[in-house]
Amino acid sequence: MSRYLDLDIVEINKLLKEGKITPTDLVEESFLRIEENKDLNAFITLNKEQALEEAKKLENEEIDTITFGIPIAIKDNIITKDLRTTAASHMLDNFIPIYDADVIKKIKDNKMIIIGKANMDEFAMGSSNQTSYFKPVANPWNKALVPGGSSGGSAAAVSSRVVPFALGSDTGGSIRQPSSFCGIVGLKPTYGRVSRYGLIAFASSLDQIGPMTRNVYENAVLLNIICGKSKNDLTSCETNEDFTRLIGKDIKGMKIAIPKFYVNDAIDDEIKDKLNSIIKLLEENGAEISYVDIKYIDKAVTLYQIIAMGEASSNLARFDGIRYGYSYENPENINDLYLKTRRYGFGPEVKRRIMIGSYLLSGENATTYYNKALAIRDDMRNSFLDVFKEYDLIIGPTATTKAYPLGKDLDDAVKAFMDDVLTIPVNMAGLPGLNLPIGFSTDHLPIGMQIIGSSFEEAKIYQLASFIEKKLNLDLNPNHNGGREND
Amino acid sequence: MEDKLSKEEVLHVADLARIEVSEEEIETYQIKLKELLNEVEKIESINDNDSDYMIAPWSNNASYREDIEEEMLNPKEALKNVPRKSGNYIEVPVVINE
Amino acid sequence: MTNYIETIGIEVHVELKTKTKIFSPSKNGYGMMANSLTNVIDLGYPGTLPTINHEVINTAIKAAHVLNCKIRKEMHFDRKNYFYPDNPKNYQITQSRTPIGYDGYVEIEVNGVSKKIEIEEIHIEEDTCKSAHRGTVSLLDFNRAGVPLIEIVSKACIESSEEAKLYLEKLKELLFYADISDCKMEEGSMRCDANVSLRKNLNDPLGTKCEIKNIGSISNVGIAIEKEKERQAKLLDNNETFKEQTRRFDDKLNDTVLMRVKETGNDYRYFPEPDIPYIVLTDSQIEEAIKTLPMMPKERKKLYEEKGVSELNIKKIIANRSLSDYLNTYLDTNLNFQTATNLLLGDISFYLNKEEKEITNTHLTKEKMLELVEKIDNNTLSSKNVKEIISDILESNKSIQEIMKEKNITNITDTSLLKDIVTKIIKENPESVNDYKTGKDRAIKYLMGQIMKETKGSANPKIVNEILIYELNNN
Repeated sequence: MSRYLDLDIVEINKLLKEGKITPTDLVEESFLRIEENKDLNAFITLNKEQALEEAKKLENEEIDTITFGIPIAIKDNIITKDLRTTAASHMLDNFIPIYDADVIKKIKDNKMIIIGKANMDEFAMGSSNQTSYFKPVANPWNKALVPGGSSGGSAAAVSSRVVPFALGSDTGGSIRQPSSFCGIVGLKPTYGRVSRYGLIAFASSLDQIGPMTRNVYENAVLLNIICGKSKNDLTSCETNEDFTRLIGKDIKGMKIAIPKFYVNDAIDDEIKDKLNSIIKLLEENGAEISYVDIKYIDKAVTLYQIIAMGEASSNLARFDGIRYGYSYENPENINDLYLKTRRYGFGPEVKRRIMIGSYLLSGENATTYYNKALAIRDDMRNSFLDVFKEYDLIIGPTATTKAYPLGKDLDDAVKAFMDDVLTIPVNMAGLPGLNLPIGFSTDHLPIGMQIIGSSFEEAKIYQLASFIEKKLNLDLNPNHNGGREND
Repeated sequence: MEDKLSKEEVLHVADLARIEVSEEEIETYQIKLKELLNEVEKIESINDNDSDYMIAPWSNNASYREDIEEEMLNPKEALKNVPRKSGNYIEVPVVINE
Repeated sequence: MTNYIETIGIEVHVELKTKTKIFSPSKNGYGMMANSLTNVIDLGYPGTLPTINHEVINTAIKAAHVLNCKIRKEMHFDRKNYFYPDNPKNYQITQSRTPIGYDGYVEIEVNGVSKKIEIEEIHIEEDTCKSAHRGTVSLLDFNRAGVPLIEIVSKACIESSEEAKLYLEKLKELLFYADISDCKMEEGSMRCDANVSLRKNLNDPLGTKCEIKNIGSISNVGIAIEKEKERQAKLLDNNETFKEQTRRFDDKLNDTVLMRVKETGNDYRYFPEPDIPYIVLTDSQIEEAIKTLPMMPKERKKLYEEKGVSELNIKKIIANRSLSDYLNTYLDTNLNFQTATNLLLGDISFYLNKEEKEITNTHLTKEKMLELVEKIDNNTLSSKNVKEIISDILESNKSIQEIMKEKNITNITDTSLLKDIVTKIIKENPESVNDYKTGKDRAIKYLMGQIMKETKGSANPKIVNEILIYELNNN
């Protein structure tokens, strides 16, 4: 079998331009690899027929973009016209959208080919891809382990080299944490960088769509395409820059902060060790590293439970069996239709979060807790922004652990959010954050670090990430006998 | 103080959320929601500096759409995913007490 | 029955006259095929987001201005969460914390005394879809979903059903005049809810209130309040306590009926809408919006008073905005406004109503109108003449002279010529003159008849009458 999809996109583009391969070759290879990696369960719906047709069509077109003909996986909470979109829920398992998300239009305009809809936690609620109605996803590095979540299918698809690109979404860590568990580069952009129109909302003030790729450069390329202001999303912002522009630039004199909270006892020693070696590397190359305090960062998970669950309880109210999706068949009356549709349509984790959100917004709770949470959130964001007045970037681990076994901790509510304790603060503050693989554990599992930038400073994140990536030169292909460092 | 919510409180929340819950689930929620409340209560004692609050990390104010009509769905498209329909209408069990 | 003091608060929902919906670019229309005015946003599809119609904000600024409200310059929206089939997202986007207008008032006149009905707030929100009930099912039409509304909430300061009606009439007049809404209660573009509570003394706390929802006309608001007063008074007389209720007005029963008893209050779980950033109004934006307001009734009244129009005519002409707008095109002419309003409210209105026409769709040019009023004023045309020719004036391109010729109207207004004829008739009829002098009134009628005969009906009766009486009394 050909291994074109192991090449980077610049090389693929060159082969396409030289006429040595066609988009059809890439699409066919992608589907062959999906078949090979069937046990990962990375996809909910495949777009084979349509993808091959698109590839055929592209053969007669001028190769005018770097992403021409590149296969891409789309997380299944991003709306694709005429292609089933389920959010990994029974509630939408028959749902064929009648419009395209803004990002999907951009993907199509840039001639990428959608291979399929990636598995995920139901409505993006989970950190290990185990809440999916369509069964869990396995980690390509060890199939007995979780890939992380909620963008677990997207992470597994990129990591296993089924596709070079995937789109994920990140509300509390859902791009960065699975990227860390699977050894890929995943960015949660600044809030407003990418239009959310067509992303099935979980928590509107936290959600962002982001690129998930094999390396830093390709990540910046994909962000270049999906970013920008949309007339459909009032919270989206104009972008007028090339995110690759600082890649390859020196980091000498760069000032980097580490929140003290990011070196706490809950973090695996192996992860701390890897991070320490990165700190050493950066210092050796002229960066200045300091430890800082960020106000209320230790309260972020609690704030998240109030704000994200509150917004979710409202966002998911529209699934009522009336206009689309699953509908309970023989309701006694209108209320019975609501009660039973939502009882049987949603999985347990989703219902739990809707219940929490409804409870924390009900009666006096809204004023006592919700408004208070919004006020503390404001202070926390300001504290982050204060740090960025003095520092270029913030770094720390992405997750407190490496990938863990499937079946673990599914019922422990508090523990589940602890997976995201290092990523949630970034969403709360609306900042960009990226996972960069920085090595492997002794049992050959990827370990990631998080690079956090100030608002709209993604280019600077890519600058540091690419510097480290180049220095480490890791082999991140799990098919190459897994997890070895090249040095 | 009770270490769990009353059954009525849980049923009220389930009613707000329009999710039917089993007896077993009610019992779990009586405890889980209370645990959560205990956790959440901790933020009450925080004295934040100012009364500003953040609805979302917006970086701009709302811009306007001009009042110009754009293409709409035809009724057939609008009803494409509807589970119960009648002619051009969406059908639901009768809504009384309107 | 004990005498109770009633306290009434009124909430009015008004649909705004914009081209598109508030949060989506679908058409804002009425009476179209079911579910033909929708897009994915109106249907609450997953992944969709709201946008803000500029015109809705401008229109709401105007509403706040004409209702004398303070205008909030920085505001956001909130979500009101409740499940109902007519509510596509199962939350309604509204303004709870930062309504666009607050602390306003409307001035009404109760038995000749002016009173301010205070307005608590005006907020912007989206309308729900329409449902029709057919046996065991309800049918939903989403054309109305997302139509822009403003809700105007009065303070509980209305003291009678009469005041309530006057307030609503005034509100309707203002909103209609300001081009904010067409205010058609029969089509639901203006909808009223009334809160009524009773107490014995002014010092007592307010009694238990009941809300009557969606009353279909202003007169029904009056009836509903009266019926509700009666119902509550009976309960209070019998020392019965009762819970807060939501009731509705039933046209057929001509009475209010129970919808539901309110439990501990609705738990709407309001929280700020994260999908719509702050809306910040600039002074110039507010000024611009207000500048586009048409002339309001108060101003019109003042102008018409200056033009010498009678109070009754002023009231009537302002009640008919298209006639008032038409009249205002003559502000810089020397038109006699009193005569003009008589004409507009009389023969012209009669014609327009009969033909179901707008005055702007007739052949009444500015020149014609000026000439017509002048001819009435100088007695060239009698009121009888006007009745005879008004439809020709409005329907044809012909000049008034031409029409008069066709209809053979040659009104003799030359007083010296008429005087000769009058003298001649007096001479020929000494008996009638005698009858007149002995107080027999019918002699005048007879003499008038003779004069009209002599002039073949072309004499101006008003002038003839004046000359005849003068001659009879002075000779």
